[in-house]
Amino acid sequence: MAVDVDTEARGADGVVAPEEIKGRSLSAIAWGRFRRDKTAMISLGVLIFLLLCALFAPLITSVMGLDPYEINRHAIDDIGMPLGCGKPDSAFFCGISWQHPFGVEPGTGRDLFSRLLYGLRISLLIAFSATTITVILGTVFGIVSGYLGGRTDAVIGRLMDIILAFPFLLIVLALSGVFTQRLTDLGVPEGNASRITYLILVFSIFGWPYLARIVRGQVLSVREREFVEASIAMGSGTRRILFKEILPNLWAPIMIYATLTLPTYIATEAVLSFLGVGVLPPTPTFGAILADSVQYMSIIPSYLLIPGVLLAIVVVTFNLVGDSVRDALDPRAGRV
Amino acid sequence: MGKARPGVLAAVVVAAGALTLTACGGGGSSSSSTGSAGGTPTKGGKITYLEIGEQFNNVDPQRVYTGEDLAFFSGTIFRTLTAYKFSKDAKEGTSIVPDLATDTGTVSDGGKTWTFTIRDGATFETGAAITCADVKYGVSRTFATDIITNGPQYAVSMLDIAKNADGTSAYAGPYKKTGQDLFDKAVTCSADGKTIVFHLNKPVPDFNYATTLSAFAPVPQAADTGEKYDDKPVSSGPYKISVYKKGKGGQFILVRNDKWTQDSDPYRHAYPDSWEVDFGLDPAVIDQRLISGAAADQTAISTLLTPASLPIVFNDPKFADRRTNEFDPYTRYIAVNQKKVPDLKTRQAIAVALDREALRTNAGGAFAGDYADGAIKPNIGVDYAPTGMWDGLLGKTIPATGDPDYAKQLLAGKTPTITFDYPNTPTNAKAAAIIVASEAKAGITVKPNPIEAGQYYGVVFDPAKAHELINAGWGADWPNASTVIPELFTPSGGFNLSQADDKAFNDASAAAKVELDRAKQATMWQDLNKKASEQVFIIPTRFGRDQRLPGAKIGNAYLWPAYGSWPYGDMYVKS
Repeated sequence: MAVDVDTEARGADGVVAPEEIKGRSLSAIAWGRFRRDKTAMISLGVLIFLLLCALFAPLITSVMGLDPYEINRHAIDDIGMPLGCGKPDSAFFCGISWQHPFGVEPGTGRDLFSRLLYGLRISLLIAFSATTITVILGTVFGIVSGYLGGRTDAVIGRLMDIILAFPFLLIVLALSGVFTQRLTDLGVPEGNASRITYLILVFSIFGWPYLARIVRGQVLSVREREFVEASIAMGSGTRRILFKEILPNLWAPIMIYATLTLPTYIATEAVLSFLGVGVLPPTPTFGAILADSVQYMSIIPSYLLIPGVLLAIVVVTFNLVGDSVRDALDPRAGRV
Repeated sequence: MGKARPGVLAAVVVAAGALTLTACGGGGSSSSSTGSAGGTPTKGGKITYLEIGEQFNNVDPQRVYTGEDLAFFSGTIFRTLTAYKFSKDAKEGTSIVPDLATDTGTVSDGGKTWTFTIRDGATFETGAAITCADVKYGVSRTFATDIITNGPQYAVSMLDIAKNADGTSAYAGPYKKTGQDLFDKAVTCSADGKTIVFHLNKPVPDFNYATTLSAFAPVPQAADTGEKYDDKPVSSGPYKISVYKKGKGGQFILVRNDKWTQDSDPYRHAYPDSWEVDFGLDPAVIDQRLISGAAADQTAISTLLTPASLPIVFNDPKFADRRTNEFDPYTRYIAVNQKKVPDLKTRQAIAVALDREALRTNAGGAFAGDYADGAIKPNIGVDYAPTGMWDGLLGKTIPATGDPDYAKQLLAGKTPTITFDYPNTPTNAKAAAIIVASEAKAGITVKPNPIEAGQYYGVVFDPAKAHELINAGWGADWPNASTVIPELFTPSGGFNLSQADDKAFNDASAAAKVELDRAKQATMWQDLNKKASEQVFIIPTRFGRDQRLPGAKIGNAYLWPAYGSWPYGDMYVKS
């Protein structure tokens, strides 16, 4: 995929056009590569569409006349099945109508389309916040550890080892009650605010060591470079060296890590809410919707399929964009 | 049957889950069809029980306390002094007949002394004759509450043995032997070992119903291994344990006990040659096997169908003569914590605002059960009378969909915030959403509090942790509301989630418990049930139902009203 930029930049006669070279910064080159990557552009388009949908979910649902919390008795029959479902001759996509384009939830008749949009909001909120904190923690610890070395490096290194050694899922499940309560005691509003904060914190705390290790490795090589030595020789303070000299050279791995971490957080959040840790009902989440839908797999297949496919699309597009960002920033590190 | 077996379909479903049980189904048919009956029972063959749990909760006779297990073990390996008649008729199926005893007991001393005579020829699987001493020893094990856990505590509460200051019995069981002399006085044996006498602390007119529980089954003292007895108890019935391997893929196999004779046991039919329980199966797989009915699965049974299977089973006429759809023993309700909601008008408003119709639809509509009007279920018999809870008892007729306007009127401007405790399952989460939405219409804010299903009871029984509304379900231990009203609504009860403690109510309940005139006692229970509804100790939501599909070659596969289970001692393999 990596096109040789230098070749491209030359004119047909092989003469370098001077203003082209002058005008292209590192990020412009990367963006140029990214733009020529069809998969990347399509994924980015889908992604932006999903983000806009999530952002404007309340607007979209109210325009469509839907409410994710409303119990729609009229959309289900006497035993709670969406109308048209559960009969021997039921269609695969039973329960779907113009009014409820994705169908309704059995038992309550709540609209699935609006619930998924709202669920997407929660997922993205958690994933974006957790990724941001992960990146900040990972970068700071990575740089400090790599640049200072010695005892600091050893202490941070062991801390990372300890965190990485924890069985993540087990800890998250076991501590959820206690920690959520603790957050409430600390002043975070009770209920979903505490629970979402808990998830964000847990993801960040267990996520940063991976990035910190990558950053540390990069710092180890960057700190030996001439411009760093020059800066030291000129008497710059440690903070300036770390954040003004070294950090700008780390953006590529950090960007790559962030874009690839985000989808894993979305998926993990779904797993946790599937297992019942996470956001409280009636607030919708992907995991909770999927947990309910597996019960009806054989009679309302679309109820499982639609949320499942949507979640897959979200995770896959984020992953594809992440991959393309990596290709664009670091064309030599080809995919395996 | 107070507690239900956690192994069955979505742990805690019945006792705790209540609302989860028969979440949803499909199709229109809700007609109650009875299981396959008719034909002449024949001996031989093997019945396979497909089980979700990876082991039995308990096999120790003094520790078994869930409906299906009580029925299974009583029908196969544990004989008790009295037992329930095998019948699908609600009245007959809950009447008692003699089993290990020669009759259903003789009462004297105004109901405080009960005498049973043990049948001749009854033996353990070892060949040793069952004597009064064995029954007595079995009963004594209930008192060792540190080792013999989970079982019913009726012997402890009924026998005439002094209590310690902290309310525990002065007798500590046969292992510690503290207070052994007190126990020896409360339960006595005749010199020939044939007659056993129970001395009770209060008149208990229905004590011979308590003796149907395997907690009153004989245990040979020499074979008692304490906690380990749970893995291989000594059989007194027509079968004995040959294999008990726990875990996924594990099995429990019963083979014929050649020391058992039909002459000594006119109660059990013991038709099949063996029983096999296959543990750790996926509920969807179990349903699929029973529905498709391969040769090996035609002699298989299991318990509740999953919601997804209901439309398949109840819409297809080929299952019409097999499927069962009957009342189970349980009333589903939401307990209202009296300590946290002391104001009667507020409690009534919560009940009035609740959309019971949506809750029932969410749980499966007609498959899930009928609307309940109190703790006592109609299939208990004489103790039930309509309480009129929704027909004026709360001041007005309340539609099943709730009456938020009237609720607002009752609240008179108050806007309470309350929390609803429930075991965390997807169906319960939807029920919580319904409660949140319907109470909100009356200005009541409900916060859902999902609790991990396996820990549910541990949490809600802790007064410090229980909130205002608590999801629950309860079934009578025998057809007398003495196992419902005092258990649910008095401080001495074992299931008082409402934390009810009303002096007048407690006194009336205690009086009803010792009333010897059954008709009068029934009226007393009916009044108390009405009072509990009026005071909103609980918001009854459903009288639960239960749907099953036995294999095509199982005979006498009807739902036995005694335990809301299969009639294990009466089933056979069709040839």
